Amino acid sequence: MSLDTKIPTRPPAAPGLALKAKPGALPRPTPERTAVVLTLLAIAGVSIYSLAKAEISLANMLGSIANAERFLARVGTVKFPPMAELLELTVLTLGLVLTGTLLAAVLSVPVAYLAAANTTPGRGFQAAGRFITVFTRAIPDVVFAMVFILVFSLGALPGILAIGLHSIGMISKLFADAIEQIDEGPRLAIRAAGGSKTQEFVGGVLPQVLPSWIATVLHRNDINLRGSVILGYVGVVGLGQDMSHAFKSLNYSLGMGIAIVMFILCVAMELVSGAIRKVLLGHTSAAGRTSKRAAARRAARAATPLTANSARPWTPARIRNLIWGWGAVAVAAAGVWVCDIKWMDLIEVWPKLPAIMVQFWPPNFGSYDFATMASAMGKTLAIALAAVILSLVFSLLLGSFAARNVAPTNAVRTGSRLALVIIRGVPEVILAIMLIVVTGLGSQAGIIALAFGGVGLLGKLIADSLEEVQTGPQKALTATGATRLQTYTASTLPQGARAIIGHSFYLLDTNIRAATILGIVGGGGIGYYLLNAGQGSNYQLVTSIVLMILVTVLAVEGLAMWVRKVLR
Amino acid sequence: MEQVNKFSGHAIRATNVVKVFGDKAALKGVDLAIEPGEMVVLLGLSGSGKSTFLRHVDGLETPTSGTLNVLDQDLTTLSGSQMRKLRAKVGFVFQQFELVPSLSALENVLTGALSTLRGPRLGLATYPRRLRVKALETLDQVGLLELAYERADTLSGGQQQRVAIARALMQEPEILLADEPVASLDPESSRIVMSLIREIARERNLTVLCSLHQVDLALSWADRIIGLREGAVVLDTPTAGLGRAEVMEIYGKVAVDTQGHSAASAAPATAVAEPQRAAALAYSGAANS
Repeated sequence: MSLDTKIPTRPPAAPGLALKAKPGALPRPTPERTAVVLTLLAIAGVSIYSLAKAEISLANMLGSIANAERFLARVGTVKFPPMAELLELTVLTLGLVLTGTLLAAVLSVPVAYLAAANTTPGRGFQAAGRFITVFTRAIPDVVFAMVFILVFSLGALPGILAIGLHSIGMISKLFADAIEQIDEGPRLAIRAAGGSKTQEFVGGVLPQVLPSWIATVLHRNDINLRGSVILGYVGVVGLGQDMSHAFKSLNYSLGMGIAIVMFILCVAMELVSGAIRKVLLGHTSAAGRTSKRAAARRAARAATPLTANSARPWTPARIRNLIWGWGAVAVAAAGVWVCDIKWMDLIEVWPKLPAIMVQFWPPNFGSYDFATMASAMGKTLAIALAAVILSLVFSLLLGSFAARNVAPTNAVRTGSRLALVIIRGVPEVILAIMLIVVTGLGSQAGIIALAFGGVGLLGKLIADSLEEVQTGPQKALTATGATRLQTYTASTLPQGARAIIGHSFYLLDTNIRAATILGIVGGGGIGYYLLNAGQGSNYQLVTSIVLMILVTVLAVEGLAMWVRKVLR
Repeated sequence: MEQVNKFSGHAIRATNVVKVFGDKAALKGVDLAIEPGEMVVLLGLSGSGKSTFLRHVDGLETPTSGTLNVLDQDLTTLSGSQMRKLRAKVGFVFQQFELVPSLSALENVLTGALSTLRGPRLGLATYPRRLRVKALETLDQVGLLELAYERADTLSGGQQQRVAIARALMQEPEILLADEPVASLDPESSRIVMSLIREIARERNLTVLCSLHQVDLALSWADRIIGLREGAVVLDTPTAGLGRAEVMEIYGKVAVDTQGHSAASAAPATAVAEPQRAAALAYSGAANS
């Protein structure tokens, strides 16, 4: 077993340095650290510049209130599709998203096994696993959907496959992270007892990672549900498609109605999966609460000792697990069933595939030149950056108030958490569409929509990170008579800073793809060209654009990895 | 392989076993032989190479040089599946128990029988009934039948170690290796666990090789003591009929730090690390209870 020893180590700190330096002088930073700090400052500078250039001003917004009034007049009363149709569409959307997420989860297991440093069979396999992770994450699900709609007859299959393939990126990454964090002991014990490699994995690794894996899948399912709106724009069936038709035919009241349904679905899903995750991950605390009852049960059982042949007792935990387990199976089966998948398509598609793939090669820029496309890509990047800096400011505020160890009262914490859930529930695309109607086409709407959605994600991550910091220093500072704010800035925030930088890069990574997608609905940037190229059957241009996105995402990812490694 | 019970040689025989990690030698030519049915303690401070040697005996490490025969098989020549078959005959009890926290005690015990099964298993129902009954009987033997269906992470340290012993017994081993089995336990649990190992080993006529760092515990428990220091055997003596002078000699040779011996300065890291670790373990033990 070759355990990966590539744990990045702290640059060797010269032990005598602190002694030699003048009293009161700050320790001299290493050149690499300086480079990272300068890079971060440069990124922040570019972000602020992008934000300034987008000219988001209150006056501007107020000026467009007339637009909003006209829009609202157009909407008039919100209309919903007929009940039966609405129900059918809702069920279909949910089923499609669920099936796609499940597909991704299943495919992610082998990818994560290869990519995780402690389970991979070798360096080559690990590189292959990581490549699949990065590649599937970098290609937007819309692009997958465009391709699969070409390949398959219409129906749920293109949507399922698009969600399924794109989600592998995030799910397998988090699966692999979970595998790398396990306690190796139980696995070693199974090896010591003569177990095989598969037995080691299933018996020693799987039980440890399962709760975190399920939480990951649920989290991704929420994201996919929000993302399903945009899939409708490129022709995947469901609520998103009907909404896009409504808006395109200027039937705003119907469009708004569907948007509201979508919003409610997203928030409901977020709440449900949040509750399930809490049960799963907080299992030990639940065990602690019922320990009195458990003790009584044990005492009763000790009084009537088990014989070697007695059956497993029906404890509340066993009944609960059974209900959850079969419930999950039933939901998954129902999800697949409502999609009404044309399984034959999966077989019939193979002969057609080469002819379709050929249309995507070689990449070229069609009637545009490289400069146009590069500037469009730059615009998308600028939107993403501006949104990150905007999100960061508001997330620090809201996220701090949502952290248990920062919030002044429990009510403030609960309120902030709830606000974050609601913000997260709003599909960015719907927000962007409405903003575009109000403020007109362009990057302004995109930035605001992304920044708003970003607060939901980043705020939650910041709150979680702040809650994870060591509470000792906080107590110590409070004991010295420091104020709440002083404690926060001197102890809580510095401890969480590295995590916050990491999360911001994650948001940037997400935003680049999201900004692309917003371009599709009119938010400016490369997405606009992507949609045009797809609809105009200019598939070689699609390939070029995808490659550009890929390079940009990989560059950001590399930068983030470097920053994280140095700041460690 | 069927005539293993009739094998004539040593249960474990090491000849000049050397193990080098990076540029640090953990074992510097260990020579020892253990007869079937013997109960031997490997005595030494942390860092003396006890754990490393035990892991070699179960094939979890490969020697850099030297030969190691276990149950008459040369470990360095075994293929993957032959190694798994040998490991099945050698039970291993770890200092930190190493149970899967989210599985029940019973399922953890059942994982000891994985080498007799084909393919992976997850969930009690995936194990044959015959094995489930046997696992319950084994749990009964370590006195934990009534906790069979409790999650492993809800048990106390001593209980977890007894489950781990049951897991090792599930293999029907011929040799039982125990790496500091009581270092993480309170004195009362330690006493229960050590006497349990001794009872079961006598009953099943097991060969036991157990590493410890407490001289008094080793003296009261073992048939024979092998002392390790800095990766080499410095002592090999039966415990029966030891006089005071010989006991003091054991302290002097193995537990250098208690003697203020000049050699103590040669390994300051181990001497300092030991009390710290003991304190940390005592703390975690208190937090668990």
